[in-house]
Amino acid sequence: MKMRKLIGAITVAGSVAMAVSAQAQDIKLGVVAGMSGPGTSYGIGIRQGAEMAVREINAAGGIKGRKISLVVVDDASNPAQSVTAMQRLVNDQVDLVVGGWGSSQVLANMEVAERAGLPYIVVGATNPKITTEKNKWTFRVIFTDSVQAEQIADAAVRRLGMKRIAVIHDANDYGVGNRDIFVASLKKIGLDPVAVVPYQSADKDFTAQLSRIREANPDGLAIFGTIPAAPAIMNQARDLGIKARFIGTGGLANENLMTLAPKASEGTVLTTYFHEDVDPQARAWADRYVKEFSGGSQPPRPVLAAWEYRAVKFIAVPCIESSGTDKEKLRQCIGRWKGTLFSVPGDAYFDKTGQLVQQSVLVEVGKGAFQAFKGK
Amino acid sequence: MAALHQRWWFWAATLAALLALPALAPQYVVHIANFILIYTLPVVGLGFLTGFTGRVSLAQGALFGVGAYTTALLTTKLGWAPVATLVPSVLMTIVLAVSLGGAAVRLAGLYFVMATIGIQQIVWLVLMNWIELTNGPQGVRSIPAVGLGEYSLETPQQFYFLALVAAGISYFLAKRVIGSRLGLFLRALSDDQLAASSVAVEVGRAKVTALALSAAWAGAGGFLYAHYVRFIHPDMFGLEPSVLFLVMSMFGGYRSIEGMIVATALLESATEYLRPFGEFRMIAYGMILLLGMMFFPMGILTLVRRRAGAPAAGKD
Amino acid sequence: MFDQLFIGGLATGCVYAVVGLGFTLVYRTLRMVNFAQGHVFMAGAFLGLVIAERVHLPALPLLFVVGAVAFALGMVLERLVFRRLYHNHEVFIVGSIGLGIVLMNGVRVFFPEPVPFPKVFGSEVVQIGAARFQEGYLWVVLSTLVLVVLLHAMFTYTRTGRALRAVAADAEIAATVGVDVKRAIALTFGLSFAVAAIAGVLIGPLYFVSFDMGDMVGLKAFSAAVFGGINSIPGTILGGLVIGVLENLAGGYISSAYKDLVAFVILLVMLIWRPTGLLGRETPVKV
Repeated sequence: MKMRKLIGAITVAGSVAMAVSAQAQDIKLGVVAGMSGPGTSYGIGIRQGAEMAVREINAAGGIKGRKISLVVVDDASNPAQSVTAMQRLVNDQVDLVVGGWGSSQVLANMEVAERAGLPYIVVGATNPKITTEKNKWTFRVIFTDSVQAEQIADAAVRRLGMKRIAVIHDANDYGVGNRDIFVASLKKIGLDPVAVVPYQSADKDFTAQLSRIREANPDGLAIFGTIPAAPAIMNQARDLGIKARFIGTGGLANENLMTLAPKASEGTVLTTYFHEDVDPQARAWADRYVKEFSGGSQPPRPVLAAWEYRAVKFIAVPCIESSGTDKEKLRQCIGRWKGTLFSVPGDAYFDKTGQLVQQSVLVEVGKGAFQAFKGK
Repeated sequence: MAALHQRWWFWAATLAALLALPALAPQYVVHIANFILIYTLPVVGLGFLTGFTGRVSLAQGALFGVGAYTTALLTTKLGWAPVATLVPSVLMTIVLAVSLGGAAVRLAGLYFVMATIGIQQIVWLVLMNWIELTNGPQGVRSIPAVGLGEYSLETPQQFYFLALVAAGISYFLAKRVIGSRLGLFLRALSDDQLAASSVAVEVGRAKVTALALSAAWAGAGGFLYAHYVRFIHPDMFGLEPSVLFLVMSMFGGYRSIEGMIVATALLESATEYLRPFGEFRMIAYGMILLLGMMFFPMGILTLVRRRAGAPAAGKD
Repeated sequence: MFDQLFIGGLATGCVYAVVGLGFTLVYRTLRMVNFAQGHVFMAGAFLGLVIAERVHLPALPLLFVVGAVAFALGMVLERLVFRRLYHNHEVFIVGSIGLGIVLMNGVRVFFPEPVPFPKVFGSEVVQIGAARFQEGYLWVVLSTLVLVVLLHAMFTYTRTGRALRAVAADAEIAATVGVDVKRAIALTFGLSFAVAAIAGVLIGPLYFVSFDMGDMVGLKAFSAAVFGGINSIPGTILGGLVIGVLENLAGGYISSAYKDLVAFVILLVMLIWRPTGLLGRETPVKV
């Protein structure tokens, strides 16, 4: 069975390459993400989101009669290979790129897009340094760590009434970035964290870190990390007798949190990138997505697929429609874009740094699922 | 029948092909070629150790990273001109290699490998966690391109000529080192431990020299890498590249610099031609390492050499 | 806090020790280092998972079945793969790294995400002094103890065990007195696979199982083996425990950022100071 998948993968890759060379007048949409390596499941989600959007647009007749062809390049979730992957998209003369997973990868490959003058909409990386005044060609639709960390700090103090907050964070860029903003935001409100401890992404045993946190006797524990470390921390914290409520940001927004820490994760409050219960449109899209992509080698991953889908369908395509494929005009159009997206409350628009400004979504883990947060 | 690489026309054709590449090949291929040229430096450096002292190192990726970080930090934090940082990068790498590995390189071969794993992990952990100095997991961004006067080497095509010249210098310098008294001494030493051990004091010093040389080449490679990719991250210098460099230096066959360069080209472009394997790409890569070692323990080029005739094989 | 860190470290240390034994067994016999060891540990955990999900076995039989399957696998791989890598230690290192990559990415195809392991060792929380931990920790420590006693008994009292020791001491002499060296080497790989796989099942229920869980554990177990003496079984056990406890204490009291550094600094210092390790004996090393 796995063999068949392997052969399938080879033929798909081959046919994608052929489709690209066959129709030169197509609009070429580049997608770069980790479709092997640690980011595999996220990268595949991104690819699925793009496939879904492109299929719908092409079925409806394309953009002014021109079809969109997808050029998907795997960066193996590795910053060095990510540079090569982006170079390949530049070389294939794609009209724009929508994708990117992992802050280290995006920080590496956006330099290539900037140098080549290629519009690049980032969907899967949250490091604040990606969108600064310096970048001209790079945009980002997902909110940054700073927006999320600020919001969760505010919610922790004002809405959850926490007074003694401890922080445990991954020593990678995601964790450190969140920690910095979170601690700074707490200080602004007038609170100092009672403990701040890092861990390495590959750690499995957190007794050393959690013992220090237990000594500090917190009533809230902010976890800035991803799967599988975050649920492991939750389980081990409860085993050690830490009763603090957990809070966090988008790193926790993954269904595996509840699979891996079914009891310990209950009551966790976090910011997330996408939630299907925000509006009926989001729910309809999520149902369609899950139905279409269940049963593949990876479980469906709606969060990033939703961003990829929305960025392609609601931002990139309308811009190509109005401005054509001239890169400079396309860039300006994206920069001016303003509109609504499903699952995002209110209007969204890009600021001067190319960051999409929007409200983020606060959720709470209840009965083994993410529920819209209904606290005070 | 003389070996291929002794014919003048072979060299002329190779040179012509290398010079014409950026004009003829797509940018993407030039980009891969740049990585290959850059990687030949740490790999050839490793060759000094492996081929000439019988020592194998799994820390070359870390040393490569020390070179890259030195130049990246000097240029971005202190504002040095890139060209001015080449020498400090190389020196820093040598100092670090000798201070961490100088004692270990005198150990028997397998113990040295073990020690280099420790060195590799220590360097990687420090790059990751000494955030004040290295930016830690955020990496170092916006590293300037190497400039020659007004002209700065930004595109892959422009950088290609720098990489080509660097790889060329590295190649000819390496040849000189091997032909020198030191090179001959190191080779004698790896061929006959007993004879070499009768000059024990000098043996130790010679081994440390070989280590320093291999570090110098790694440092220079790291310098090029930082100014080409222009973003560096600790994960680029973990155990993975160390394994890759070691394999590149072994696949070519012991003691043949040409072999190492060919192996570097074959393995570095492997990530590209294995692309159709998709999710299964890493499995294919692992199989190449495993099967390569199982069936060509003396390097894949032994296959070619056997065909080329006995005299060539006998020469080395 | 000390109790908590010490007991947690002891359990992790036991895992390093048992996985490290795999390095030691192979090294004693062949003077080679098998860098696929950490990934065998990982594969063992998944083997345990696959069995436990299908058949409801109590803990002990589960450990036994996984050990037996891994033992057989080790012997088969020795015949098909490792045997072709005895050329020299460099070839063996790169070959075994390649095998590790294949194992890890092979498992990844089937289990791309971390998976919870059934709580075969119970999930009660035990309190000793100020320290609280899962029952599973006790299992890890006790199983390690039993495993070491069993191994010791086998090497001392059984014919096969004595044959293995003879080959480890000097293969050529062992061959001349009629020991089947090839069989002994195959058995050694079987044993090294079995212990690593059992360690995988022991750790599984405490954390999750994921395809990359063998990376760091493999390297630290290797450091443990070198620290205690890579040709000495008691040395490796001691090395594992010391590294497990020390790194936890360092993580708790000094800095958790550099917790991982402990094992590798110990490795480097030990090699320079005393390459044979704490309890290892000087052996003629073939260069």
